[in-house]
Amino acid sequence: MLTLSAASLAGLVIAGTAKSAKAATASYTDADILNFALNLEYLEANFYYAAAFGTTIDVANGASTAAGAPVITLSGTVGTAGSVSGGSKVPFQTIQVGSYATETAVEEGKHVATLLSALGSSAVAQPAINIGTAFQTLAAAANQLTPSGNIPSGFSPYANDDTFLIGAYIFEDVGVTAYHGAASLLTSSSNLSVAAGILGVEAYHAGLIRTTLNYLDPTGSLGLVGYTTSISNLRNALSQAGLLGVPPSSTSYDANPDDYGLATFSTPKPLGGAGSATATRIVDANPSNVVAFARNTTQVLNIVTGGGAVNGTTAVSPAKGVFFPNGMNAGPNGFK
Amino acid sequence: MKTLDSLVDKAFSRRNFIAGAGALAAATAVTGCGSSSTPAPNGYTDEDVLNFALNLEYLEAQFYLYAATGTGLASTDTSTPSGYTGSYTEGSVTLGDAAQVAGLTGAQQEILNEIAFEEQTHVLFLRTALGAAAVPMPNIDLSFFGPLAVAANITTSPTGSGSFNPFSSFDYFLVGAFIFEDVGVTAYSGAAPLISSAGVASGLLTAAAGILAVEAYHAGYVRTSLTGRAIAAGSASAYPYLGAANLVEALRASLTVGDSAAPSTPGSVETLLTLPTSTTSPSAIVAADPTTAVGFARTVNQVHHIVYGSPTVGVSSGGFFPNGTNSIFSKTTA
Repeated sequence: MLTLSAASLAGLVIAGTAKSAKAATASYTDADILNFALNLEYLEANFYYAAAFGTTIDVANGASTAAGAPVITLSGTVGTAGSVSGGSKVPFQTIQVGSYATETAVEEGKHVATLLSALGSSAVAQPAINIGTAFQTLAAAANQLTPSGNIPSGFSPYANDDTFLIGAYIFEDVGVTAYHGAASLLTSSSNLSVAAGILGVEAYHAGLIRTTLNYLDPTGSLGLVGYTTSISNLRNALSQAGLLGVPPSSTSYDANPDDYGLATFSTPKPLGGAGSATATRIVDANPSNVVAFARNTTQVLNIVTGGGAVNGTTAVSPAKGVFFPNGMNAGPNGFK
Repeated sequence: MKTLDSLVDKAFSRRNFIAGAGALAAATAVTGCGSSSTPAPNGYTDEDVLNFALNLEYLEAQFYLYAATGTGLASTDTSTPSGYTGSYTEGSVTLGDAAQVAGLTGAQQEILNEIAFEEQTHVLFLRTALGAAAVPMPNIDLSFFGPLAVAANITTSPTGSGSFNPFSSFDYFLVGAFIFEDVGVTAYSGAAPLISSAGVASGLLTAAAGILAVEAYHAGYVRTSLTGRAIAAGSASAYPYLGAANLVEALRASLTVGDSAAPSTPGSVETLLTLPTSTTSPSAIVAADPTTAVGFARTVNQVHHIVYGSPTVGVSSGGFFPNGTNSIFSKTTA
């Protein structure tokens, strides 16, 4: 369960076809939902701090200080505190990608600080986080699902500008769907405001990453577009498997994905009175209504744990694996 | 647990977000909202809120469709729907310079196609959701870009001659698009809390949040492109479009009545673009609160001030909407 083996992947492949999300059975408080988001922000912030500064979110260094990145006091106490493994500063070559990484690190750090402040003594501790080998595990799984994408073995998001963007790609659209799905569970109006505001920021980040990859590889000839297709297919398969209670009805893993890579739309899109034309896919949204996707907690957990959140049609709690080797930290309700 | 009230300062109270997750489920639910919407105590319905968004989507869709193709929305997508009993009538588009953007590369053309398709789909989505209650397209003036640029103190075109024309090149287009996209994000953030609890339960708010995200993807595209092309050019003077976009931001900020502090200062809902000069200096792609990195919201009224190009209280038309929006919110307030 800790790694995504070929056998477990085969299970994923047949698990999800229908699109009607069954609500998670757990009853969450607002604090639970914000803590779920906080776990994700711990992960994202540490990834970007490693890439941009070569440090973790709780330890300042020259690079993080120069960028104005917050130093996070790890004040959360609920659950079991863990350490961050893996990650190293990317030797950025282009100003564009380096400055984007710097900005994003600062913003994700502020999201951690904002949620810690909001949650106060209810905040969860930073769990054990793997931002090293987790990427290789997911890349291998993505290649099994989409062999034509074929992310190089030994993939590291810290190797260069391009691989950093692919690493960031893994997170950003997931952040959008997680905040979108979580927002509907909040009961406090002020918490909703914050969730909607962070949802917007995650979508700006996702737009930034996808735009930059499109600029670098507009025709797909460099392979970056293929990697995004592989990752989106994997996220979709893991997400579909997280729709518990949906019996497998097809060996085709999905006819209606909730995730799309950067390849252009497969068919020309209608444009007013002007006929149809080929279009890019900067936006990751449902093509029928162009509303962004939402995912419930099980779907998100299954993505960030590499399939650790479900066993057939049963939720596994605590879900663990890949980025969260010991699972997320949660209050008494847990996450499933 | 502390509330987040101290971290956000919004003009409207937020209603609860209790719909189930899933954009498809939301889309299905929204379709059914047309006849069940009941007037709220303050005199507007969910249909009024959706129709406000529809006015903005008409404007965005026409701009992007003309930019991508030289042609606008099909007439069937702007007309009064069958069974409509309201008083608004279908308007037309004043084109000004509107035309397919000149000199696009193949890759740029495909990007414009995408955004045009997506904004057009938002029009169709809202019209379908509203059914017979959907307002027709109001009069739209795409020649307003010139006066708006003058108001923003973009006194000469970035290339040194002629007036501001967002259809004359890809870089000009980016500045034109910039006028709309961050506003779209804040408009959906601000409109969402106006939705009734019944509308929230039916998935309306989830749908609005999903469109908010799409607008933020678009805004991310535009801001990333302006920033990246300025970096590639090497200096602000070599790429004047970045400065032009920031002048637009300053104008938008001044028109955000009630929160009109200058961009990137306390109380503002605008974040100026920056020109990073090294791999370690941060860009400013995201428009968000500088302390919390939480995105901004605008009220329906603030959005009207911007699209009318006027800080004046009590006006009902102007700017991109020469006869006003087809909306009960069309008259500006303080």
